[in-house]
Formats: sequence, structure tokens, C-alpha cells
Amino acid sequence: MKEQIEALRSTALEEVAKTSDLRALEDARVKYLGRKGKITEILRGLSQVSPEERPVLGQAANKVRDAISDAIDARKEVLDAEAEQQKAASEAVDLTLPGRRPRKGHMHVINQVTDDILEIFFELGFQVAAGPDVETEYYNFESLNIPADHPARDSHDTFFVKPGVVLRTHTSPVQMRVMEKTQPPVAVVVPGRVYRVDYDASHSPMFNQVEGLLVDEGVTFADLKGTLMMFVHRFFGKDTQVRFRPSFFPFTEPSAEVDISCTVCQGKGCRVCKNSGWLEILGCGMVNPKVYEYAGYDTEKYTGYAFGLGVDRIAMLRHAISSIGHLYENDMRFVEQF
Amino acid sequence: MRVSLNWLKEYVDIDISAEELAHQLTMLGLEIEAIERPGAEISDVYVGKILSIDPHPDADKLVVCKTDIGKAEPLQIVCGAKNMKPGDYVPTAVVGAKLPGGFEIGRRKMRGIESQGMMCSARELGMGEDHTGLLILEGEPPLGADAKTLLGLDDVIFEVSITPNRGDWACMIGVAREVAALFGKTVRIPAITMTESTTPASSLSSVTIVDPDLCPRYIGRVLKNVTIKPSPEWMCRCLIAAGQRPINNIVDITNYVLLETGHPLHAFDYDKLGENRIVVRRAKPGEIMTTLDGEKRTLAEDMLVIADAKEPQAVAGIMGGGDSEVDENTKNVFLESAYFTPASIRRTSRQLGLATEASQRFQRGADPEMAVYAINRAADLMQKLGGAEIAQGLLDEYPNRIPVREVRLRYARCNLLIGTDIPEETQRDALLRLGFERVKSDDESATFKAPTWRPDVSMEVDLIEEVARLYGYDNLRVSLPQVRQSEMVFAPYEAKVRQLRRQLVDQGLTEIYQWTFSCPEDVQRTGLDASYMNMVTLQNPLSEKQATLRSSMIPGLMNNASYNVNHGVADMAVFEIGPVYRPVDGADQPEQRLCLGMLLMGRTEEKHWSSPQRSVDFYDLKGRVEAVLDFFGQDAVFNGVKFGPFQHGQSAVIVTGNQTIGYLGKIAPPVLKAFDIAQTVYVAELYLDPLLSGGQQANQFQEIPAFPPSLRDLAVVVNASVPVADLMKAVYDNGGKNLKQVNLFDIYTGEPVPKGKKSVALSLMFQSGERTLTDEETQKAMDKIVRKLQTAFEAELR
Ligand SMILES: [Zn+2]
Repeated sequence: MKEQIEALRSTALEEVAKTSDLRALEDARVKYLGRKGKITEILRGLSQVSPEERPVLGQAANKVRDAISDAIDARKEVLDAEAEQQKAASEAVDLTLPGRRPRKGHMHVINQVTDDILEIFFELGFQVAAGPDVETEYYNFESLNIPADHPARDSHDTFFVKPGVVLRTHTSPVQMRVMEKTQPPVAVVVPGRVYRVDYDASHSPMFNQVEGLLVDEGVTFADLKGTLMMFVHRFFGKDTQVRFRPSFFPFTEPSAEVDISCTVCQGKGCRVCKNSGWLEILGCGMVNPKVYEYAGYDTEKYTGYAFGLGVDRIAMLRHAISSIGHLYENDMRFVEQF
Repeated sequence: MRVSLNWLKEYVDIDISAEELAHQLTMLGLEIEAIERPGAEISDVYVGKILSIDPHPDADKLVVCKTDIGKAEPLQIVCGAKNMKPGDYVPTAVVGAKLPGGFEIGRRKMRGIESQGMMCSARELGMGEDHTGLLILEGEPPLGADAKTLLGLDDVIFEVSITPNRGDWACMIGVAREVAALFGKTVRIPAITMTESTTPASSLSSVTIVDPDLCPRYIGRVLKNVTIKPSPEWMCRCLIAAGQRPINNIVDITNYVLLETGHPLHAFDYDKLGENRIVVRRAKPGEIMTTLDGEKRTLAEDMLVIADAKEPQAVAGIMGGGDSEVDENTKNVFLESAYFTPASIRRTSRQLGLATEASQRFQRGADPEMAVYAINRAADLMQKLGGAEIAQGLLDEYPNRIPVREVRLRYARCNLLIGTDIPEETQRDALLRLGFERVKSDDESATFKAPTWRPDVSMEVDLIEEVARLYGYDNLRVSLPQVRQSEMVFAPYEAKVRQLRRQLVDQGLTEIYQWTFSCPEDVQRTGLDASYMNMVTLQNPLSEKQATLRSSMIPGLMNNASYNVNHGVADMAVFEIGPVYRPVDGADQPEQRLCLGMLLMGRTEEKHWSSPQRSVDFYDLKGRVEAVLDFFGQDAVFNGVKFGPFQHGQSAVIVTGNQTIGYLGKIAPPVLKAFDIAQTVYVAELYLDPLLSGGQQANQFQEIPAFPPSLRDLAVVVNASVPVADLMKAVYDNGGKNLKQVNLFDIYTGEPVPKGKKSVALSLMFQSGERTLTDEETQKAMDKIVRKLQTAFEAELR
């Protein structure tokens, strides 16, 4: 009997070790440990041995049962792991296939650039203001010190709606609309459409500007330089060179135009910058006291600056867009590039 | 304006390179846009003297010349020109010489005779258009000298951009003044050395100013016995460098003096002036004159003319008349130098559509004192170059004296405005160098008289700008301001609009940005009704297609779809946020409404290897609109409506409260056809202003339910025409207070649902905040709902 038990142990363990899947292992378990299994059979057979031998053999049989049970558990772990591996292998995906992306649209490049510009001035403490596209000559010209028959009107090729009413030629009329509403301090930026009767390879009859206005006590030309240099460095990168050139705008005095080192050739000279190494990006200056008079501001107490950025030009420079015509054509093959 | 550096050097010393000078002037506000070197391509062209001219043995049209260029042997040159004779000096290009256009002279045979170079015409040297013969040099220039230097082909031309406030810059002396101020040099004004005859000008002519408000000063001179002939080469060269064409000595002198002094002059044929005299007056109504350009012009009463005793002979300050023009037969000249009121010149110039060199300068404000120098300078030159006898004295009428402006500069104010400490001494010095004259001063300020050529200076800030300009903008300090905002909010909705734009992009829509121009024809093509034809109209549109401002976004969206379809794009999901305009009776400005336009066509998703493709339908667009309403926290109903652009049955008006806030629908087939689109298109237009101003409350927290919900499904069959929204509303209204949610999860038509009917499946959620609901309670609520649906919609339970 004892030999029989030991023989059972070695056959069973051998058989368990040989099982190749969970099903075979289960069969082995039933065969040895099941209710009708071999161990049960032996334990039942103990009733026929002598009472002295019975506990010894019983203990031996239980030991073998435990050993087989342990072996089955161990084998199960191995087979489980194998099964998982097989399953994983069968579920492997082609990692190179493109994922399912949520569909995303494109913001128009003009608004992307406008937003980026505004963001910089918001951080500096400016707030946004707006005004109508159809303006009176009073706001568009007169109150900005551009009286009728002023030669500066020549450079504003103006669309007329009726006598005295125009499509605004710049965002500057919003300066006056803001100043009329409140005394200083005033710190606003004004994005918007503007219009000029001009349509060729480098002009669009509708285009976009961002206007800035800061009026308070003690605002200086040095502040204007600092603000715009910071803007240029944030927007075009800190290595960009900036220069201020005297210029003329009726509503600022002193006035300046701001050039940045050419973004294409880094100042070496190329077709885009007409070999000068510089690109003009904005006009600015200290608000002319005559404008304050129209606004009802104290011309001694307050000083301030104003500037106007051409969004189209900046967009074209930043994205190397070859022609202004693309901007408002809205060809999907263009719009979706940005 | 074109500025010749060689010419400029006659007025001021320049001892830096052209590039450096261009940079310095640009940084002073006189922007040099381009630097041109007309003779840069030319080399090896020398002064040659023609020794002999012999016929070519084998060609009638060619001659064989011997030309001495100062070498041991003269050159043998075959030539086709006819205007030269032995003894003439000509520019001679030797073998290996380079001419404009990359043209190189080689040794070659012409009809069997060797030619060792080329004698040049003016055009061949890039000096104007003259190609009628060789350029014959004046005088006896040294043989073999570099013709390039002699002809000024080593010149540098600056293309200068002049701001409208600085008319005084638009001349050689003006630029020279700026150079002198910058480098501390002096300007050389050419001396006048003419001799006047004993006949007083006042005995030959007179000047009467009838309208001094438009002509504060008028100066005349009479010149007798002028010889009309071509101008000397040096003068031609200056005119050509400035981009002008020489005509004859008298006309050229007036142009030359204009370029030199900036002051426009006009020469009349004295003998063609009625009674030989000048009357400066406003035009009579309907008066007609023919200007020098041959145009017949009808004048208006507010235009100033220079007339003789009878009729207008010039539109003052703009253009002379044909009747009194100087020509080859002119003997006697009446020379005019005047100061006209700038605004009047500009107005007339615009009304006539006639802008000239003269009008450009007068409208920027001329220098009333330069008027005197300019007329004397011209008279002097006419004497030297045309043998004119100059009648004694100026006919100088100056009834309205142009005031000399005196402006005070406070040193501290200057520094306060520019934020840089510039010493008082430096401030004063800058202005003195620019020709300002100090009239008085105290501890803190000085008062300056502005030069007569600076009509732009009238305020203290003008002086401050001059100081800053000469000090150099680049040398001014840099600082950052303490930015203080107003407490007032100027554009309360801008941030929300920017947020909406980003959200739409994140939801897969692409933004377009169109011109706001439109035209009535596009409104019609879109099927919009007559109210949309009430548009803001431009008086001077670029074209008929852009003659108005848009009254709706739909025509623009359709045009854009049409453009893209034509360019092979089949799928579009686009939006635009922008204004539409509507005239308001009695108001100057139209109503400007902010709109959101959306257009969908083609497939819902981009092509993907794992996704099925589906075409967009009404509910794709409606869902977009609903998402926008959600963004604003607003509810709306979509009511069926007849709307021109849309197909009936797929056309809805969007209403919140009792306000129409937009339309959406499927574009009707005739409209698609009108825009040449062969696929289905869905468009929505929403007015954003009411949504933006609607006010949005912050979401308020609802206690999370502690008791489980009770869920029920309900499927009913109703007539296909029953609006599901009505059905759902009835469910809500009859479900009791515990009914918290009703979701539509299926709509089904077809077998086994009878024809003309549809099956609607809803899932309902009942929940109480106080306890767990019993089955009986929920069932009771369900029974009530079902009874209601049966009576109100003849619904059958499935
Ligand atoms: Zn460049």
C-alpha cells in the first residue's frame, strides 16, 4: 500500500508537469484529487488496512494529496501566464496605424495673430475696446487732428458711405470713442477691420489692425519704446533688433515708425526687406495735445502714447505668406495650414 | 522723390558713404527707400574725339570712323549714326567695356571691316531715351578721361519717401538743410548775379490779387527777348536724375528751380496774356479752360485761377493753360512765383482729379520767402542760359502776410514727454541747427521763431519732436510704464467672443475671414427676401461685386463654398464671426450686428481607416447650433419657417424667449444651382448680440442624490408627423415631480411599424432626494404618462 501511494505521487506529479493547458490540468486534478479520484480511492481503501497502519498510511496519502494540489496550483500559475501571453499576442495592434483624433478645426491666421498680440498687451495691463466699422469723418479724421483738406487724408484712400460717413481707414477712431467716455487713466488695445480703396498684390481693401492707447500722468516716449520693444521681443523672439524712426501721424507728436530686423534674412538683406535688412511693422507716437483737446483732457496733466499694428503684415511675416490675397480668399487649402 | 547725390553735394559737403548717409537720414525721418546707382554696370567708356568719318565700302548705312581716345593709335570704329562730324567728342566704349543690361563690347567685324569699340548714344549709357544719334559731349573734355565721371554716371540716386508734414524736404536745398543740421555743416545757396534792365517791370505788366484768402502772395517778373533752346547738359543731367524729361531752357529752368528750392514757378508767354497782365481770382461759374495736358476743364467757383485781363490762363498752383504756354516762338516771358493757400490747392486738385509736382508742394505748404529767391534764381538762369533781359523789380503783391510762428519750449516739459534727460544746451542747439531762431529765453524755457519753410511747427510738442529727432530716437531711454486701467469696461463681450471662437475650433469647425463687402445680386442669388436688399451702399466701391456691405453672412458663405468646390474641396465645416450691417433711417451710422455663420457640407469626419463615412445632415448643423446655445447658457426653440435660402421642411427659425436669434437649414436646390454647387449644403446664421447680452448666471450646485434612481423605458408608436419635442414635453409635464430625466434613444420607421407611423423610444429616470422610490410609485407615474400620450397623440404602446 505504501508503495502504491508513493508510485501515485510520482505519476501524478509527472502528469501535472506535463499538462500543456488549463483544460488538461483540470482533467489531472479531477483524475487525482476529484471525488472519484485516485487519492479518494486510496483513502477509501484505508478501511481495509489494519488499524495500526491506518494513521501512518492516511498521513502519507494526505501528504501526497497536498503535494499534488500544490503542484497543480503551481502549474496553473505557469499556464495562466502562458495563456495571458498568448491572448496578448493575439490582441497585438499595428502601432503604426494613425490614432482616432478628435476632429479639430483651424482658427483663421488673422485671428490667431491678433489673439497672440492681444495676449501680450493684456499681460501688460491693457484692456480691450472696440468701435464700429462704419465711422463718421469726425471720429475717423477730424478729432484725430486730420481736418478736411489735410494732405494726410491722401494716404487714407477712403471708402465713403455718404458725405461725412466713411468705412474707418484705421482703428484710431476708437481712441476718441474711448477717451470721450472716461478721464484717464486709459489703457486699451483695439483689434479690428479697417478699409482702404486699395487693391493689388500687396494691398487688400479690408485688412486688420490692432490699436493701442495709454494715457495717464507721466507716460513718456521712453515708456512707448519700452512697451513696443517688449512686444517685439515677445512676439518675434528676443534676438530681434528694433529701431524707432521719426515719422508723421497727425494724431501723435512726436511720431515714429518701428522697424524690426528682417525675419527672413536676419538683417543681411533680401527681397522681402528690399535689401535694407529692416521691416516696418507699426506706427506710433505720443498722443498729440490737439487730440486731447477734442477728448476734453487736460493737456498739461496727461501724456500718453498710441500705436497701430498691421496684423496682416505681421501674419505674413510670421508665417512666410507670400501674398496678402491669400488671407481673405479662404481657400481651405490655405486656411487649414494654420 | 529722387535725390541725386552729386547734385546734393553742390549745396552741402558730404564726407560719408552713400549707405551711411542714407541710414542717417532715414533715422532722422527722411526715409531713403532705395539706393540706385544708374551707372553701376558701366565700365571702360572714355572720352573720344572723332578724327575722320569715311563711308563703309560694303554698307550704305554704316560709316568707318577713326576715333582718338588719347592712346598712341586711334580706334577704328564702324558706326551707324549720322549726327556726328569730325572733331566731335563722344563717349567711346572700348573692347571689353560693359554697358547697362549686361552688354559687353567685343572685337568684331561689321560687313568685313573690323570695329574696335562703340561710340554711344544717350540711351546706350542708360541716360534717358534719346537714341537718335551719338551723345555729343559739350566743350573739349580731356581725351581718354573716364566718360562715366564726366557724365555723372557715377552718381547715386536716393529714392526718398517724404511724410506729408515735411513738404520742405521735397527739394535739394531742403535735404541739404537736414544734412547740414545733422552734421553741423552749412548749406550753400547759389548766389544770384543777374543784371536788371532799366525798364521797370511795373511799366510792362501788373498783378492784381482779387482773392487774397486763397493767394496771400503773388510775385511776377517780366523777361524780354529770351532765346528758346535746349538746356545745357549739366541741367539735363540733373533733371534726368530727378526722373524728368528736358524740354527747353525756359521750361527746364522752372522745373530745375522747383527741384532745387521746392518752390513751384510758372512761365507764361508774356505776349499771349490779355493786356499783358495778371489777375488772381476765383473762377467764374462754368468757366472753361484747356490745361497744358490738353484737357478741357470746367472750373468751379471755389477754384482759384490765374487770369489775364479776360480769361483764366492757369489753374492756380496746379497747371498752366495751353493758351499762354511757352513754345519755340516765345520771345517774352512772364514768370510767376506765388504762395497759395494749401487747403484750396488740395480741394481743387481733388475736384479736378489733377495732381502735379506743383500742387503736391503747394498743398503741403510752400515757403512764402523762398518764393522771392526762387523767382530771382530762375530769372538769373534765364539770363545766363537764354539771354533774357530782366525788367527791373519784382511785381510783389503780398496782401495777406503769412504769420511767423513763435513757439515756446520748456526744457523740463521736453524731458518729461520723452522720458530722457537732454541738457538744455543740447535742446537749444538742436533747434538752432535746424534753422529756428531764438527770440527770447528764461531759466526754464526759450521761445523760437520757426523757419518760414516749416509751416508744420506750431506747438511745443513740434519743437520737442525736433529735439528728439536730432538727438536720435535710438538714443532715447527705454522704460516700462506702470499701466493703470480705467475702471470702465469698453468692450464687455470681446473676451466671450474670443472664447466662442476657440470653442468652435476645438469642436472641429474651421474659421474663415471674409471681406464684409457684398452686392444686391448676391443677396438675390441666395434667395434672401427684400429686407436684406436694404444695404449700406458705398459711394466709391472697388467694383459692382463689392458695392455694398453685407446684410447677411449667407451669401458670403455660399460664395466661399462655391469657390472651394470649384477648387476640388468636397468637405467643409466652417464658421465666421463678424458683423452684418443694416442702414438705420435718419442715422449716419448703420446698425452693426455681430453674427455667427456656419456652413457644413460633405462628410462629417475626415477619412479614417477605421471609421465609416457619413454625410452631414440637418442634425449635424442643429447640434452645432445647440452647442453654441449651451455655450451661452441659453435655451431656444427651432420652429419650422419659410426662409428663402432654405429648402422647405429643413428650414428653422431659432427663437429664444420671443426673440428671433437666427436661422438654420438646408440650402434649397435653386440656390445651390445659382452658386454652381452640386452637393448638399447646410447653413446657419445666428445673431450673437442678444446671446452675449443675455446675461449668464453661474451654475448653481445641486445636491448629489443619496437615493438610487428608478429607470424605465417607454416605446410608443405615433403618427410620423408628431413632433418628438411635443411628445417629450408631454412626458415631462405628466411625469410628476420625481421624473428627473427623459432621453430619446431611438426613432424607428418601417416593418413592423405601420406605414405613416413611427416608433419613439424613451428612457425615463425617476429619482427622489428624500427616499428610495417604490415600484408602485414609479409605475403609477408611468401609467399617467401613457394615458396622456394615448389621448393626446393616439399613441400605442409597443
Ligand atoms: Zn531681409
